[in-house]
Amino acid sequence: MPAIGDDVFFAAIPELNQRLIAREFSAVELARAFANRLEQLGPRYNALALPLAQQAIRRAEDVDKDLKRGRTHGPLQGVPYGVKDLISYKGRPTTWGAKPYVGQVFDYNATVVDRLDAVGAVLTGKLAMVELAGGPSYRFASASLTGPGLNPWDRTRWSGGSSSGSAAAVAAGLVPYALGSETSGSILTPASYCGVTGLRPTYGLVSRHGAMALSWTLDKLGPLARSAEDCGLILQVIAGKDSKDPGSAGKSFYYTPQYARPLKELKVGYAPVDFGERADPAARAAFAACLTVFKESGVQLVETAWPQFPYGPVLATILGSEAGSIFEPLITSGKVDELADPAQIAGLKASLEIPAKDYLKAQRVRRLIQDAFLQFFAEVDAVIAPARPGPASKIDQRLDAGGPGPAAATSATAGFQGIIPAGNLAGLPALSLPCGFADNLPVGVQVMGPPFSENTLLAIGREFQSKTDWHKRRPPMR
Amino acid sequence: MKLTRRKLAQAMLAPVAVSAAAQTQAPPPLPANPDEELRAARDRIKTLSDALAKQTVPMDTEPALAFKA
Repeated sequence: MPAIGDDVFFAAIPELNQRLIAREFSAVELARAFANRLEQLGPRYNALALPLAQQAIRRAEDVDKDLKRGRTHGPLQGVPYGVKDLISYKGRPTTWGAKPYVGQVFDYNATVVDRLDAVGAVLTGKLAMVELAGGPSYRFASASLTGPGLNPWDRTRWSGGSSSGSAAAVAAGLVPYALGSETSGSILTPASYCGVTGLRPTYGLVSRHGAMALSWTLDKLGPLARSAEDCGLILQVIAGKDSKDPGSAGKSFYYTPQYARPLKELKVGYAPVDFGERADPAARAAFAACLTVFKESGVQLVETAWPQFPYGPVLATILGSEAGSIFEPLITSGKVDELADPAQIAGLKASLEIPAKDYLKAQRVRRLIQDAFLQFFAEVDAVIAPARPGPASKIDQRLDAGGPGPAAATSATAGFQGIIPAGNLAGLPALSLPCGFADNLPVGVQVMGPPFSENTLLAIGREFQSKTDWHKRRPPMR
Repeated sequence: MKLTRRKLAQAMLAPVAVSAAAQTQAPPPLPANPDEELRAARDRIKTLSDALAKQTVPMDTEPALAFKA
């Protein structure tokens, strides 16, 4: 009987692959163990959309044959993973987390699934998500076909959205890594809330062919995993040119930590107010400690001012316009009323009425934003800020309310306000790293850089994770 | 407190996951029915439009339609 216990369920990708090669256990045994765990514990967090145990075991049998013959395909070979349920897997349902699409089946795989399959990765299940990846608006965590994503650290808290199941499944050791998507915060938010490492790649670096479109000019696919190292290994496989994705940048990505610039050469911008006044009071101690770690890592931390634009309205206009066009058949057919969240339904209906002049204006402002960030990143190599201002919200908490309170409004400086819409509008990569706890819940810090700077961000992340163990913490499985 | 539809729409400005930020202000009352919900969503679009109108853009700025990072 193979020794597959918690050490395996929470192991990093290279370790799992090495133990497979060393025949400590077979790929089939590993796939079966993870698939069983996902099926048993996934529903506990509303994280499971579709188990794929049989397919996984068949694929793992092929991997075992390859390994037996010495045919190795890199560190992802034989390692199980999951995908957000907006990524198509041939012949099985892809629901986009939404009731109107329950019976939807595609006859092809998403490019990312094919790329992972080509290196022997083993897909064990599809993971739950906020319906339609959040659409233009939703009010409650319950805006999902599978119910609200429950946080493994505290099931009265949200796992974040919209890649809810992807983050929860990694955090709970149900998969070693998962793929999610981000249009505006949907990787970074759940990664931060669940205490896992999440990478939002540069726009166009990872093909979206076979993934649900929410906004053609904003959507990205990326990994949620145990470490920056794992994210780099995954990105190397899923990135690259794809003629089936009109947004493809035509670039490959090679994870090359050995060629990373020395950290002491890197200038990293930050705004102290983000780590203090603008942060949730419960999280400030963790964020302060996190800043100290960055300072000790050798990077040159410099206080920086941020280009000021109406990021939120620009992003919401673009997202709403494109989502309205994409989901016009859903809206005009009336099936939109089957969605779970009333604000989501109304937001989609109203999105058809966004004036063309507003969409074009937003895209023109976006051009200015892109130009401003090109200049901004001539001065610094990366920026850091809290991935979210605090820990996960309560399950029944409204997500559409309020905004920064009076204390934030009177801040001497705005800090990097709007960093999530800003980064997504400019197509910038960002890495969310677990950086401590607040109210016994994880919080994260994000490192964001210019387009195609993933290797720099991952180098910073690796260094941070070599000095901390937040990414190795495990939630109480009760 | 009387809540106008405009105020409700402003409160809903934060998009997608961004709306999950730590909140410090009390949320406005829930819209009572789908019609009210739709009105609030339309007002939100108007609020977005107003915010965009305040942003000046040089005449020669082309939209980022063929978006490349």
